[in-house]
Amino acid sequence: MIWLVWRQHRKQALFVSIGLVLIAALMIPTGLTMRSAFVDNGVAACVRLLGDAELVPINIRSCQGVLDDFNNQFQSLATVGVLFFVLPLLVGLFLGAPLVARELEHGTHRLVWTQSVSRRHWALAKFGLVGAATLAVACVYGLGMSWWMAPLSQTGQFSRFNVYVFDMQGLVPIGYTLFAVALGVFAGTIWHKVLPAMAVVLVGFLGLRFALTILARPNYLPAETFSYPVQGPTHALNPTLGNWVLSVGVRNSSGELVQANGTVECPVGAQGPGGQPCGGGLLGPDAYNWQLYQPGSRYWLFQGIESGIFIVLAALLLFLAIRRIRHIA
Amino acid sequence: MDLALETDQLGKRYGKRWALRDCSLHLPTGCVAALVGPNGAGKSTLLHLAVGLLRSDAGTVRVLGESPYGNTAVLSEIGFVAQDTPLYRDFTAAELITMGARLNRRWDAALARNRLAQLGIPPGQPVGRLSGGQRAQVALALALAKRPRLLLLDEPVASLDPLARNNFLRLLVDSAAETGATVLLSSHLLADLERACDYLIVLNAARVRLVGTVNELIAEHRHLVGPRHGHHPIPGVTAVVQADHTERQTTLLARIHKPVADPAWTMREVTLEDLILAYLSEGDTQAGHTEWEVSA
Repeated sequence: MIWLVWRQHRKQALFVSIGLVLIAALMIPTGLTMRSAFVDNGVAACVRLLGDAELVPINIRSCQGVLDDFNNQFQSLATVGVLFFVLPLLVGLFLGAPLVARELEHGTHRLVWTQSVSRRHWALAKFGLVGAATLAVACVYGLGMSWWMAPLSQTGQFSRFNVYVFDMQGLVPIGYTLFAVALGVFAGTIWHKVLPAMAVVLVGFLGLRFALTILARPNYLPAETFSYPVQGPTHALNPTLGNWVLSVGVRNSSGELVQANGTVECPVGAQGPGGQPCGGGLLGPDAYNWQLYQPGSRYWLFQGIESGIFIVLAALLLFLAIRRIRHIA
Repeated sequence: MDLALETDQLGKRYGKRWALRDCSLHLPTGCVAALVGPNGAGKSTLLHLAVGLLRSDAGTVRVLGESPYGNTAVLSEIGFVAQDTPLYRDFTAAELITMGARLNRRWDAALARNRLAQLGIPPGQPVGRLSGGQRAQVALALALAKRPRLLLLDEPVASLDPLARNNFLRLLVDSAAETGATVLLSSHLLADLERACDYLIVLNAARVRLVGTVNELIAEHRHLVGPRHGHHPIPGVTAVVQADHTERQTTLLARIHKPVADPAWTMREVTLEDLILAYLSEGDTQAGHTEWEVSA
């Protein structure tokens, strides 16, 4: 079986290898450049200065400038991340969907299932080997992207908890990829044709990804809140920890949200027009800034939860696929 | 009598529709059997049940005494060539032979290689680029290399031109004789089978219409030509399979158990083709009328 699986998929293996080499050729030099700039521009020192305190004094303004400069210099590179966003989908479409569907579409299942090897054995060997290869590839690009993104993630804007950045690095690409492949395999056992199986992967994968990202991920654990005064705030959330800020706003003394999606900050003693306290007329006295966030320290936990969900679903789909294969003629 | 294939009340259903129903037949070892019927008669279903691709919904099927579904021991005794002779089209013939060696406990690679060498089939070219006839030969060689005791072929010659068809069937019969394998071959091309087969199964509208050795079946049937005939029985005739009436004359194709002595009837021998066509048209119209919900 191993020989057959290798013979059937060696072309795909070649394409995947070429793809990985090309990506590495792009990512490794840029990653190294970013890392040396990270040290040379003093960003590393700044990050060390901010440390891993939950809150940092707001007056480390010079440090903020260094972080922003670094961001401005490299943020265009972060668009490369879109590639990593679609990689799991591509693997599902071109490796997962045809895996069983092409055999059924061409009728070759009747050739291979009537040799002296049971279908179960066939399915386990095929899913096992292709799955293991997929896992290895996904580990390379998931963890590789983590390495590449690490400097950018620490400067605040591309926090690794940020919705898109979270999706393209770490453990979740592994879960996504395995799920996309398993979905393609399962769809093939239902529709018996490559194109419909690919369509199912496209719709099913994107649908579940968006649904989980928007609806489920912010609630894997109850979010925490942080509030600070409108006038003369002294501390802010440490930007280098990569907290995931879900929403911000200004609340009045009774806790009602008086301004959504915005913050108001004034120095101590600042006065609005007509001698009113800063923002006083609009917000009322004792208004405070409010943030709902998932602490950056939960990053790996959330990565684990989300990839776990996808891996469990992938295993379930493969199990169902093996069961369906018993009834296909 | 050893049986290569044995079915009893075998049935397979897709949803509400029976693709095969009440199929009982015994295929003795060593015969070359033709499975004949129009498209959709249930031929592929019967073969898939026999090779264990399908599980029956009713009755039993036994190959060499064992149930074939999910049974790799039986599977290694069966050579199967599926409809349209599916092969991995990007594999070369040599690679397909390697594949067979990897997937079978018993594998006669030399047999496959010799056959393909004799036929002049290139070993290093992807089989997708070979002609239909050559591909069918590769598929047959792969099935034979298992040294099967039962060889099942689903419409192996349907897509071949007459010359390739003739070659294929001749080689098939020769190799069956050499290896002693029992062959069951489905087709809707009648003329080819007459030369190749010594056993006949006629399937129509999911049911077995006729089964037996060709010699016996020919001996048991006659054309009878006589005066216009009502429904009263004719001595010697077991059943009337097909009746054509004109103003004054009736032509019957009848199953007989002894020669018809009545001088009013003239007896003529039947050909295999006559026989098959008669049994096929028997079931046809019935199904049509029910499905269209009109009266016959």
